[in-house]
Amino acid sequence: MTLLRLPSSTAPARPAARTRTRRGRADRRPRILIALTGLFFALLYLPIAVVALFSFNSKKSLTVFGGFSLRWYRAFVHDDVLISSLGTSLRISLVAMAGSVVLGVALALGLVRCRTRLGSLAGLIMLVPLVTPEIVTGVASMLLFKGLGVALSTGTVMLSEITFSISYVTVILRSRVAALNPEVEEAAMDLGATRWQAVRLVTLPALLPAVLASAVLIFALVFDDFVLAYFTTGVDPQPLSVRIYSAIRFGLQPTINAVGTLMLAGSICLIALALFIPRLFGRRGGLDILSGE
Amino acid sequence: MALLPRSSRTRRRGADGDRMWTWLMLPGTLWMTGFLIASLVLVAVLAVGTTDDLGNPRFGFDLAGVRALADPAYTEVLARSLGYALLTCVICLLIAYPVAYTIALHGGRYKHALIAAVVVPFFANYLVRMYGWSVVLSDDGPVLRALRAVGLADGGTKILNTGAGVVAGLVYGFVVFMIIPLYAALERLDVSLIEAGRDLYGGPVRTFFFVTLPATRQGAAAGLVLVFLPAMGDFVSAQLMGGPDQIMIGNLIQDKFFQGQNWPLGSALTMLLMLVLLVGMFGYLRRTRKDEAEARR
Amino acid sequence: MDATPAVRLDGVSKQFGDSYAVHRLDLDIEAGHFFSLLGPSGCGKTTSLRMIGGFSDPTEGAVLLAGEDVTALPPNKRNVNTVFQSYALFDHLSVADNVGFGLKRTGVAKAELRQRVGEMLELVQLSGLADRKPRTLSGGQRQRVALARALVNRPAVLLLDEPLAALDLKLRRQMQVELKQIQREVGITFVFVTHDQDEALTMSDRIAVMNEGRIEQCGTPEDVYEHPASRFVASFMGTSNLMGGTYRGGQVALDGGPALPVGARPGIADGTAVSVSVRPEKIWLSDFEPGMSMLSGVIRETVYSGPTTTYLIELAPGVTLSVLEQNTARARMEDRWSGGETVEFGWRPEHCLVLA
Repeated sequence: MTLLRLPSSTAPARPAARTRTRRGRADRRPRILIALTGLFFALLYLPIAVVALFSFNSKKSLTVFGGFSLRWYRAFVHDDVLISSLGTSLRISLVAMAGSVVLGVALALGLVRCRTRLGSLAGLIMLVPLVTPEIVTGVASMLLFKGLGVALSTGTVMLSEITFSISYVTVILRSRVAALNPEVEEAAMDLGATRWQAVRLVTLPALLPAVLASAVLIFALVFDDFVLAYFTTGVDPQPLSVRIYSAIRFGLQPTINAVGTLMLAGSICLIALALFIPRLFGRRGGLDILSGE
Repeated sequence: MALLPRSSRTRRRGADGDRMWTWLMLPGTLWMTGFLIASLVLVAVLAVGTTDDLGNPRFGFDLAGVRALADPAYTEVLARSLGYALLTCVICLLIAYPVAYTIALHGGRYKHALIAAVVVPFFANYLVRMYGWSVVLSDDGPVLRALRAVGLADGGTKILNTGAGVVAGLVYGFVVFMIIPLYAALERLDVSLIEAGRDLYGGPVRTFFFVTLPATRQGAAAGLVLVFLPAMGDFVSAQLMGGPDQIMIGNLIQDKFFQGQNWPLGSALTMLLMLVLLVGMFGYLRRTRKDEAEARR
Repeated sequence: MDATPAVRLDGVSKQFGDSYAVHRLDLDIEAGHFFSLLGPSGCGKTTSLRMIGGFSDPTEGAVLLAGEDVTALPPNKRNVNTVFQSYALFDHLSVADNVGFGLKRTGVAKAELRQRVGEMLELVQLSGLADRKPRTLSGGQRQRVALARALVNRPAVLLLDEPLAALDLKLRRQMQVELKQIQREVGITFVFVTHDQDEALTMSDRIAVMNEGRIEQCGTPEDVYEHPASRFVASFMGTSNLMGGTYRGGQVALDGGPALPVGARPGIADGTAVSVSVRPEKIWLSDFEPGMSMLSGVIRETVYSGPTTTYLIELAPGVTLSVLEQNTARARMEDRWSGGETVEFGWRPEHCLVLA
């Protein structure tokens, strides 16, 4: 690829040189590396493909494909427990999304702009969930609720998910806030806006794509999360992912294949949406949303 | 002297002021402190606490839970978890490096699409993915069938219910955390460096070891930490891919809280896990700080 | 003209940690002037501007606008507007909404707002682009939007922070002329920060030359250029031949060179170390007049640059002067000297400055 990046002015002038470099590059293309990468992608998508395939199986078998059928999807739609779990998961995801986006955006704005000692302390606290395995956060949350005498329920799942998601929102937004030109906010104040109006009228609109993308991302993460939910949920209703966990552990019904396929499709759409949102606003879209870089 | 009152007056307003930013920061910080920091402290406290007959946590000071950690049954699990997690790190590095390298340097204009294709499945439901992976690796699954077809495996070869299965699960679960930082480092890598390396060292292999590898060391270090953290705390892979002899510390913790109802021991195990991870993090931070200091020099 | 200065800085300092970005600045800016703050980067000019605008608090001292102490007022309560170096346009708003932002904040009625925005866009020649997003404009167009957005509020003072720095040379020259015209048309006080001395000289009514947080000299462009008050100003404004020496009785004995007659300087004691400054274009190579200070030296280098030629003449070992000559018809290069030749040169005594 490197050789193709000729300055554009020289390229049309010397077509011969161009074809030569292109062929030269093709000769040096590392076939082994490309084969390895292909294998990697195959193995990466194979499990997903298997789940999707068997969700359309007409037989109950999880290893032999008997023919195309939608019976497991029909079974899912008529399974009241799973449907109510789906509703619970959606409610948890929406609340966690709203809560963590509001708190996380405010935190990101404050962290970038506030250069006090409190600010750096808050920055450290914010990082804790990112370096703590979920099982630890899960255990800790459960103990906190038990210790406070709060019965585990959908509400406790929501609280824990918000706690965990704030960090994600903050990490994603923080780099965006830092990349903003501080003069833009100053310009708003210069033109008569108060500090708060400047944030509302100028900074937040500039952050909107990143805020939306992080909201979508959080929705998907919370919807799929099971460790935190597993530790902090009550007995009934349970989030969908906790139901799936039980099903996978204690003898699987093929219905779960259908649910899993729907969840996979849903998450993939949401992630694609999160990656695409910045482009809707005419910005460079991309993975930096995911990594927070 | 005469200027003092005036300067204190202007200070109060704070055009460079932090007050609004502090207010913005406060709710999120208080929330995190209240729910997360407090709960982590609670785990530490409970590790030396007791429970009443109903299994509710009681504060106290009882080292039974902590002392139980020395039990060989637990140290063995810890050692196994460490071994699995470290092996997972190494395998992830070996897989992720060529993949990230190929995408970053030979991906051309499909680069972004390819890296998105790596990332997207990792946001899909972890359980469903792991379950699918266990089907793929099962005795009748495509992987073993393919291996048997080329003669690399016989009818008795198993992946599930072995340590290899658990590690395969962990690798599948977390390899993306290795690819992303490596890809970022490789993409930032100035291609003229590689070309200069070709000039200086000649062969592509020498160039790789003298130029490319050192330039991506930080990315690899970050990836190792990002894989180690969740791999160490995972309990799903051992459940789906392993048997009773392959349990990890995460399974123990889960067991103490859900089946065994021994909360002080569960808390002590959780603290032990945190301790191992903190040691790992500390090592990483020292390493990167040393690297940065060297880079500055 | 109003006796109250449009802007007054009264003993203003700005401290960052132990170091002063601005140190005890006293400055009056007359209403209606095009006033430039000129200096190298880090001299405190932008910090001074930010304190006038209200974006930065002085550590001590007071900022007065039209005689009123505004030190404690935030930017939105000050009757000044700023054109930022980065333009700082609002990318999510159209050009017209950008320009109307300030008027909307102050609650101007819709009809009047539309009319004033339209007029202002006309003034900066952007009428056709009102509905575009800033992102789609060229650098020069963005610059005009920033200018219009500030001017439409009819501020008492317009602050400009190196507004032309991001433009290429040709566009910059064009904008210099335009900016000056607009300033004359609207009659608003402009405070213009720049590190480009040409820009300051061509546009300003007055210039304050700053260095290390202090004002070295404040005056008209002619003042500052022809009569630099310090070594720093002499070397920062254009090129100067600065020669170190010792003053004694109407003469300066150059370090390692001859003594130059500079006339009696009553303010300078005998034996003081001074610098002598002569501008290259003030040195004559022919057609001498009576009463000139005359010297001779060896031509070491001839640099031809179109309209002018620069000669480097060695006066004594280690003392080299640069001399600028117009390439008029009578002074064509091939008729003149080449390296190694000894030439006579001279200057009018008043063009030789002695800087303590």
